[in-house]
Amino acid sequence: MRALRSVLLAAALLLLGWSAAQTVTAPTSVGLPAVPAATPSPTDGLISALKKSLGAEARGEAVLELVFPPSTTPLRNARLLPRLASVPGLIRRNFTVTVSPDTVAGRPARRYALTPANPQAARWVIWTDQQWNVPLAYQERMAGGPLARRAELTAVNPALSRLSRPGRARTVRPGLKRALLSALPGLSLPAGFEPVGVHTRTGSAVEVLLSDGLNVLALVVSPRPVKAASGVGVRQLGGQSVWLVGNLPQSALDDALSRIRRADAEAVSGLPGTFGDPAASDQ
Amino acid sequence: MNDLQTDASLDALFAAARAATPADLGAADRFLAGRFTGDRTAAWPPAAGRRRPTLRLWVSTALGVAATVGGLLLLRPAPAELPSSAAYSVYQSALGDGW
Repeated sequence: MRALRSVLLAAALLLLGWSAAQTVTAPTSVGLPAVPAATPSPTDGLISALKKSLGAEARGEAVLELVFPPSTTPLRNARLLPRLASVPGLIRRNFTVTVSPDTVAGRPARRYALTPANPQAARWVIWTDQQWNVPLAYQERMAGGPLARRAELTAVNPALSRLSRPGRARTVRPGLKRALLSALPGLSLPAGFEPVGVHTRTGSAVEVLLSDGLNVLALVVSPRPVKAASGVGVRQLGGQSVWLVGNLPQSALDDALSRIRRADAEAVSGLPGTFGDPAASDQ
Repeated sequence: MNDLQTDASLDALFAAARAATPADLGAADRFLAGRFTGDRTAAWPPAAGRRRPTLRLWVSTALGVAATVGGLLLLRPAPAELPSSAAYSVYQSALGDGW
């Protein structure tokens, strides 16, 4: 008798379980495929962290190392990381991103490795906090492998710091590109780089910022020439001197300038005024 | 010869002197050419050999002007070349605050 009751109970439980399963999988039974929960791609994960870092940041004790450009104090300490001036749209276009788990300053972190589509551009690794989703460290390496710069938090405060004045991401400015190529006909921007900002500097020099998403180049048009050096391409055109400065092989910098036919000083001087407040585009 | 005759002769002489003759044509040019070459008695047209001083003067003037212009261009102060650290400074500011 007891055995019969056990059998009946088991049958009832089986029937109940089958019924519940039918209810849960009902959409499938009418032809709609089950959609797994969307997991962000490594690129999306990185960009969400970079966007969050515009309004919040981890602080504590940091080490900064600057190999390029050369400086008198390449290694120094700080309380926070210098903010990464990224352009999300260009990161998606120009970099392949992979992610793996890691640890920074004793905190669980995600390690994002960025490989540029342009093999001459610098490579990046960015570590973000797994809980806070903001950068804890990053490094930029030259195309050949040597370190260009790095910033790393070695100790992290227990709470995330909110910024009173959130920053703004840089954006691509197609109109600026058209005007720049018109002012410097023959200019060949390195693959992946786009103008994202423009400033007027002292001495009537004009500086245009180029970015591939993370790497930055400074293009300067000035009446005064500058001495060529590693990472500094220079081209003299009449009374104007064009400099291209950045972490690219010297041949890439020189190639970008080599086919410029002339420098239209008037058009160059009009670049900042034509495209509004430069500060707004460079946050 | 009385005074009346003398006056008439002089009047005739003056009238003849005031009348232009074919020899007067180009007299001013001949005079100026003579002044230019330093020879008031130069014949007209001047001989081929006497044109050379004028040519030499023009060539010398042209060469002098060219030398002056060339010298000014060479000696004009060119914009001073900035050290490469100026370019690095621009790049470092492009990296953003904190660097």
